[in-house]
Amino acid sequence: MRKKMIGKSLLFTALLAVLLAALSPIFVYKTEHRAKLEEGLYLSDDQYDVIFMGSSHMNGGLDPNVIWNQQGIPSFNYATGGQSLDVTYYLLKEVLKTHKSPFVVVDLFYLGMTTQYGESGLISNTVDNMQFSGNKLETIWNCVSPQDRIAYLLPVLKYHFRWSSLQEKDFGFDVASLYYSKGFAAGTNRYGKPNSEWKATDNRIDIPEKSLEYLNKIIDLSKTENFDLIFINMPCDYSEAEKESDWVNDCEALFNTVADVAQENGIPFLDLYDKKDEVGLDFANDMNNAGHLNLWGAYKISSYFGNYLAENYDLEDHRSDSAYAQWNEDYKYSQAASVT
Amino acid sequence: MQVKGVAFLSFISLEFFLFFAVSAVVYFVLPHKFRWIWLLAASCFFYLCYNSWYAIFLGVSTLVTYASGLLIGKSARLADPVRAARQKKIWVALSFCINIGILSVFKYLNLFSEIGAGILSLTGVPTAAAHFDLLLPVGISFYTFQALSYTVDVYRGDVPPERHLGKYALFVSFFPQVTSGPIEKSKNFLPQLDEVHIFDYDRARRGVLLMLWGYFQKMVVADRLGVLVDTVYGDQAQYYGLASIVAVIFYAFQIYCDFAGYTNIAIGAAEMMGFRLTTNFDRPYFSRSIQEFWRRWHISLGSWFKDYLYIPLGGSRCSAFRRCLNLMTVFVVCGLWHGDSVNFLIWGALHGLYQVAGLLSKRLRKNVRDRLGIGESSAWYRALQTAFTFLLVSFAWIFFRAETLPDAAAMIGNLFRFNPASLWDGSLFSLGLTQPEFLAAVLGIFVVAAVDFIKRRWDLRSVVLGSNAAVRWSVYLTAALMLAVFGTYGSEYNAQQFIYTKF
Repeated sequence: MRKKMIGKSLLFTALLAVLLAALSPIFVYKTEHRAKLEEGLYLSDDQYDVIFMGSSHMNGGLDPNVIWNQQGIPSFNYATGGQSLDVTYYLLKEVLKTHKSPFVVVDLFYLGMTTQYGESGLISNTVDNMQFSGNKLETIWNCVSPQDRIAYLLPVLKYHFRWSSLQEKDFGFDVASLYYSKGFAAGTNRYGKPNSEWKATDNRIDIPEKSLEYLNKIIDLSKTENFDLIFINMPCDYSEAEKESDWVNDCEALFNTVADVAQENGIPFLDLYDKKDEVGLDFANDMNNAGHLNLWGAYKISSYFGNYLAENYDLEDHRSDSAYAQWNEDYKYSQAASVT
Repeated sequence: MQVKGVAFLSFISLEFFLFFAVSAVVYFVLPHKFRWIWLLAASCFFYLCYNSWYAIFLGVSTLVTYASGLLIGKSARLADPVRAARQKKIWVALSFCINIGILSVFKYLNLFSEIGAGILSLTGVPTAAAHFDLLLPVGISFYTFQALSYTVDVYRGDVPPERHLGKYALFVSFFPQVTSGPIEKSKNFLPQLDEVHIFDYDRARRGVLLMLWGYFQKMVVADRLGVLVDTVYGDQAQYYGLASIVAVIFYAFQIYCDFAGYTNIAIGAAEMMGFRLTTNFDRPYFSRSIQEFWRRWHISLGSWFKDYLYIPLGGSRCSAFRRCLNLMTVFVVCGLWHGDSVNFLIWGALHGLYQVAGLLSKRLRKNVRDRLGIGESSAWYRALQTAFTFLLVSFAWIFFRAETLPDAAAMIGNLFRFNPASLWDGSLFSLGLTQPEFLAAVLGIFVVAAVDFIKRRWDLRSVVLGSNAAVRWSVYLTAALMLAVFGTYGSEYNAQQFIYTKF
């Protein structure tokens, strides 16, 4: 009798979980992050030669359309707001299931995070939009605080309050409307202020423990999966982040340490914060706010980075490749098209 | 009154599910002779999670009433009946003094302080009342009354003294009901601790269904209604007319679904482990009189007051005046049992007055009915009685819910400030609930009322469990999905503590 009860309880739990899992996609917020991950992970047949990973700095920093238009290199921006390094690692593993041996460009701003887990609402940008898989389970297990794990596994449990405000798009999200952006989205605000006064330093500080663990995991993954890594740091006024209790208090010293780690492992590290003069970046006009590039800043950075790729790597120009004919069409709808 | 402790093991938590599952499984796995130890340990853990230091008072109450039982039993065996009777009374009085004393310190110290300062002021010594910011140990009103019922039951010879301290401690602290009842009587619960509970699949299913219904009442209905109630009661200068009327009606159902929800979870959990707890609610809003309402609302407390206060005072077998006085006494005490505020006192007194008025007008009402040719059993007359009783009960709830007497007075005034535009201008949907949430709240009330109505004829749990597997599983899964989707839990809702854990 007891076995019957336990057996039926397990069956009930399993059935309930399946139903909740089936309902969950309806309740998840339909954001551009969801659109890009659906497109980049599951819908697109395109092969990307370069992929961009990281947080919002990267999301609005490198525009695949600019790089395509100028260099003919197909790329995709998988960065999502608040994507911490641990989340980047598992998302990268998911990307590598369909995109073999691309150049992987990782923005390292989130190395500065000192807490065990990233902010819950921001981790959702990635985790909620990954389909059920071993990588998703690993992401939840390693990147989400224990009390939130079930809600990440079955997102309807955290978004159920949306039942009264569901819209038509929640029942059929049309990611095609954002297909042409290739994962890039930048603001069109002009910050209007210069960068804060800061002094260059040769100091080094330790990379926070969990960030270092996942930085090393990404480096190890590049060796086992045989792909090229490029580390990057976008222009940013660190002063705001350094005031936060969950952030290192000297980002410049942190990135000095990062440069050492990159050099030890033979990985290029482009600290674009230091190259802003070379890029021609005007902080007041090319930043959306203190931490993020705007559309025009992203255009400059993307042009610079496209040139860097073309000059330093043997990447094929696909602009005349019929398999990528749609990319020329997509460019016309991109944010970049409005700049040129 | 604030309650000490965080609700780590609140019934509305994943932790409680795990705790209960482990408690129940281990309970049935253990041999019978060890089960009480396990349940006592689980109950202590449960209470300590709420209230670590204040568990001392639960311990004191347990020890005092346990000792009183033994001493009363010993005195009863004395050869001299006069001496025996005197001694027994002493033990009862001591048990009451200590238990009510502790309860009074936590619940009424500020009231006593204000009364004392008032008396001193009257004698010409102006004194400011001292204010004591004591946190109330969770469940103290419930376990104190439950433990005292044992003292009286032993005194009356209704139960023999329990010699097993562990089992007695379990009777006082049994985790499903220690925080908010039902207030068990020793003669009902203590013998169950010696019963050998074999796992019963059907009983477990009945328990699960009752728990699911309790969770629905609390999470889908009560807490949703509470959002609007809190909004209106929280700013009475802004809301009036229809908003106030809706808030009063919503609160009547909020407190019912909240408390009945808790009780159903408690009874269902106990039932799964083989224990039969006292029924606490029996479709109270279908009562046709206030007297009937109190036979259906918080039955275990009403029964406690009836057995241990109303009947000792003389009950109904006395003059009409004395009977009215007894009723007023019982209901004023009942009001004060909830807390020391004037509002609780008025709430209790109102229920006493309702009953006194009902008694005194009984003949008049019969004469009017006879003259008008209205049959007492006619459907519309019964419906009218039910509606009128609901109206009276809802009016009294205003005093129960409002923070202060002026707040209650303002609320009553607001009920009569009619603003017809609120019927169509959508302002009802700006009281904390959007239009769909508001409609869901109203639908929830209808579902609860419909289930109560149906329960008059059918035992719904038996109907569900007697159906085929497809129907049963559909009910289980639909109920669970309703809780998951429409339940008011998570970061976007301000999950509310069970109202009666404050008492």
